Amino acid sequence: MNRRRFLMTSAGAGAVALGTPWLVGASAATDEDLAYANFGISAELLLKDFYAKALEAKLVGGAGRGVLRRGRSASAQHAKALGQLLTGAGDTPPVEEDFAFEWPAPTFKSTASVVRTGLGVLRALLGAYQTAAATATEPTYRALYASLAASVGQQIGALASLAPPPAGVESFPAALDLESASSALDRYLG
Amino acid sequence: MRNRIALFVVAVALVLASVFAAGARSQSDPLTIYAAASLTDVFRTFDSNQRYSFAGSNTLETQIRNGAPADIFASAAPLNTQRLFNQNLVEKPVTFTANRLALIVPRENPAGIRSVYDLKRKPVKLVIAGAAVPVGSYTRTVLRKMGLTSVLSKVVSQESDVRAVTGKIALGQGDAGFVYVTDARSVADRVTVIRIPAWAQPRVRYEIAVVSRSTKKTAAQAWIRAILSDRGQTALKNAGFLPIPKASQ
Repeated sequence: MNRRRFLMTSAGAGAVALGTPWLVGASAATDEDLAYANFGISAELLLKDFYAKALEAKLVGGAGRGVLRRGRSASAQHAKALGQLLTGAGDTPPVEEDFAFEWPAPTFKSTASVVRTGLGVLRALLGAYQTAAATATEPTYRALYASLAASVGQQIGALASLAPPPAGVESFPAALDLESASSALDRYLG
Repeated sequence: MRNRIALFVVAVALVLASVFAAGARSQSDPLTIYAAASLTDVFRTFDSNQRYSFAGSNTLETQIRNGAPADIFASAAPLNTQRLFNQNLVEKPVTFTANRLALIVPRENPAGIRSVYDLKRKPVKLVIAGAAVPVGSYTRTVLRKMGLTSVLSKVVSQESDVRAVTGKIALGQGDAGFVYVTDARSVADRVTVIRIPAWAQPRVRYEIAVVSRSTKKTAAQAWIRAILSDRGQTALKNAGFLPIPKASQ
């Protein structure tokens, strides 16, 4: 039994007790399954940074700040969950210190710009999670990616409500492969 | 007054003598620095007075373990320095710089590679370093993170250090190769650099340590302080290396 398989087995055994069901049965995870987790955690850390900077900019008040705070909290929780998934699979998850996030200068100058940029990041991430949910070989991973996609979809609706005009509802948001999603976020990830 | 002038002259003479003595020592009795191949250009530019041996960090680690007469070991991966430290063969290592990986293709780009994902889609002759070499290990990390480990079946050559990978691609002996960003710069006129996304980058950390058997420990420690100084860090930055990561400071 190699180190990776040992870690997977150990992680799977304790997963239910820890409330992290996506670690159960992770022993058959493919590199492609884990690639989406690697990308996802990086994008979630990027989103967390986005929400934090949007809050610092104090462009929105009242309920709008609640949207940003909940988004920041969701990103942190998603990053943690994906980090557990990677650790359970024997990989080292990325951390914030691995990145030098770059935001275009006008990003946090107006509410419209905050919403436009945030929606761009969220849609790329949603597209990646949709593909991951459809293609992951591990059922528990599929469940996790589907849950993450649903949360990101909710964030898109909430963030879009902060700046007029209200965004239209997409019946079938586009799924993105890893390469396309990565290209969409490349300029922000540093 | 005359006494003060005499004292001043003597003091200046002593200072000059010590400076000349230091210079003479560094020229006549240089340090022997074993350093990762990727540090070749920057170390030689930073201080041309020392004696260098550049190779894959794993090779240098083995040589030091076998008693090679090195004063300093600068590795492209903490693994190599830490293993020697755990066996008391080097003093406590410190992180002194960082790097990133890139994919390079020959200027003519016969395989038509425009993204890392093209390695999976297209027939390609891939050149990488061996798994025990830091850059070879980092390459495999990149491929695993991107879900592209299947392209390892397209490897036609596994080299002993990053300079060998760089050279082969620059000469068109392979369609693509993974190297450090800093090595790609050294052949910028002969290759095209393809960026690897930040989320797929490995943590490339360089460590440096005084070799325990060194008979010039004071000078070796001074040299390490110099590479950690503003002047040393500027030299590394100018060569394309990254600053010391905050977590390592």
